[in-house]
Amino acid sequence: MKRLLAASAMLLCSATLAAAEGELFLYNWGNYTSPELIKKFEETYDVKVTITDFDSNDTALAKVEAGASGFDLVVPSAGFVGIYADKGLIEKLDLSRLPNHANIAAQWMNVDWDKGREWSIPWLWGSTGMTVNTKVYTGDINTSAIFMDPPAELEGKVNVIPEMGDVMALATMYAGGNVCSDDPAVMKKVRDLMVAAKPKWLSMDYSTVEKMTNNDYGATVDWNGSAMRARLGNPDVAYGYPKEGYGLWMDNVVLLKDAKNVENAYLFMNFIMEPENAAMLSAFARYANGITGSEAFLPEDMKGAPELNPPAEFANNGQFVTICTGKALDYQNAIWTELQK
Amino acid sequence: MSEQRSFDVADLPGVGPTALLVFAGLYAPIVTLVVYSFNAAPSVATWDGFTFDWYLKAWHNSTVMNAAANSLIIATLAALFSTALATLAALGTTRRPAFFGITAIYAAINQPLMVPEIVTAVALLIVIAAIKAATGYAGLGYLVIAHTAFCIPFAYLPIRARLEGMDLTLETAAADLYASPWQSFRFVTLPQLTPGILAGWMLAFVTSLDDVVITEFIKSPGQDTLPTYMLGQLRRAMTPDINALSAALLGLTLVLLSGFFLLSRRKS
Repeated sequence: MKRLLAASAMLLCSATLAAAEGELFLYNWGNYTSPELIKKFEETYDVKVTITDFDSNDTALAKVEAGASGFDLVVPSAGFVGIYADKGLIEKLDLSRLPNHANIAAQWMNVDWDKGREWSIPWLWGSTGMTVNTKVYTGDINTSAIFMDPPAELEGKVNVIPEMGDVMALATMYAGGNVCSDDPAVMKKVRDLMVAAKPKWLSMDYSTVEKMTNNDYGATVDWNGSAMRARLGNPDVAYGYPKEGYGLWMDNVVLLKDAKNVENAYLFMNFIMEPENAAMLSAFARYANGITGSEAFLPEDMKGAPELNPPAEFANNGQFVTICTGKALDYQNAIWTELQK
Repeated sequence: MSEQRSFDVADLPGVGPTALLVFAGLYAPIVTLVVYSFNAAPSVATWDGFTFDWYLKAWHNSTVMNAAANSLIIATLAALFSTALATLAALGTTRRPAFFGITAIYAAINQPLMVPEIVTAVALLIVIAAIKAATGYAGLGYLVIAHTAFCIPFAYLPIRARLEGMDLTLETAAADLYASPWQSFRFVTLPQLTPGILAGWMLAFVTSLDDVVITEFIKSPGQDTLPTYMLGQLRRAMTPDINALSAALLGLTLVLLSGFFLLSRRKS
């Protein structure tokens, strides 16, 4: 027992002693950071990287806002970058220290949440659409009707991911509204459609990759990266881009104001904007990055994957899903709560 | 205690089948989890042959091992501290006549059971962030303190129950025979209390091992525990190395439990 106490006392102290030079603290979504990339960075710059997981934007923001979080870089979603900036939690980037900033694809340079990319750089992006088993359902898969008005073949076989923002965005666009509509008529329609569709759903669950691979689901609302993993395990699986509008999201790296390892943080941001390294991020998480020229370094099974490259005819149907506020959020919460009953 | 044991629940009809059902419900998921930790397919749902690969993979995954180490260190220390404190609290609230305000003390001790965890988590986040900023210390100490605090009632309840069930005559006899208060505690009360303390320690250990919400809010960089690590995996594909790790932890718990069981049986 004495030895155990001594060992743990040492462990307790080591965390403070280790705050030497050559460190970087990254706060990111769980299971989202390529270990190979981190290893390469550590070996190139002799910097020890510590990754800590968060499970939601809200938790991450709450911890950073409380102060003394100890992190240098955080990876929030698009809608949260502005919140971090407004609250004065992040530093405006010194672009002269980021030569690879020029590699950011034109599409991701002047984004709504950060014009000119002065506060955040791209991590990965993706879409929310429909993953369908084409053996079960042979009709049009590029529509949200798959879950909003399931065809007879899919009744009782549809899954919906329990992610309110993403699902409500698809539903609202399907009903003819904008992503954060606060129009009572539109939201009433959304509610009626969803309440009518729910008895035809099988479940509201995250584990879409396994269930689509095993033919347990006929279709599911899904993220494109999961859709690709499912297709690689089951060739009958295909990913549809709802023509009524599909969701887009992007996670971005921001530099915290109270970061202690600013120099290493810049090195890391510049490092992941190198096409070869951005491709490592994509290869691990199975999502696209926002860096020009990374395509060439992607694994073979990702090059030209339909899940990563929306077909031209639907290219303009994607809408960024932001955090709704005020009345729009109240409507969404009310509908979502009703669906959980 | 009761000499006239005329009624026994076990004599009622249907107890056996009900118990079987309950145990099946409790243990079937755990058995499934262990079985799938030997699954060759990279999925937690389809069976595709037998393998030890996931155990190796978890063993070689430094993030997973770091999380497991954090979990065990925090749970061991928090259970130790909270059981020690709970034992003192239990002695203080049972081995003396009831006094004014004892209900308030019960309420204070059991506060973590009443207050929603998220409230405690946010409150701790604010306080601990201030301390971190002031001291610069960001070690595991905060998690150990926080876990100790919410584990106290779990350790306290079995210890108090044991103390209340214990007869006072032996302690009185010891005092009559000129034992000092310390001697009567050490040689009379403590040996009788040991099963309660062990039970309290184990409950506290398991409670700490389980905690997600408070840990997620107050962990410092690099301090993921197993539950927070698993939570982070939820939105992406789960692979059976999580099963392997859970099975290994389960095995460890079983070894611990059997050890305690054998120890306490030999003593009594």
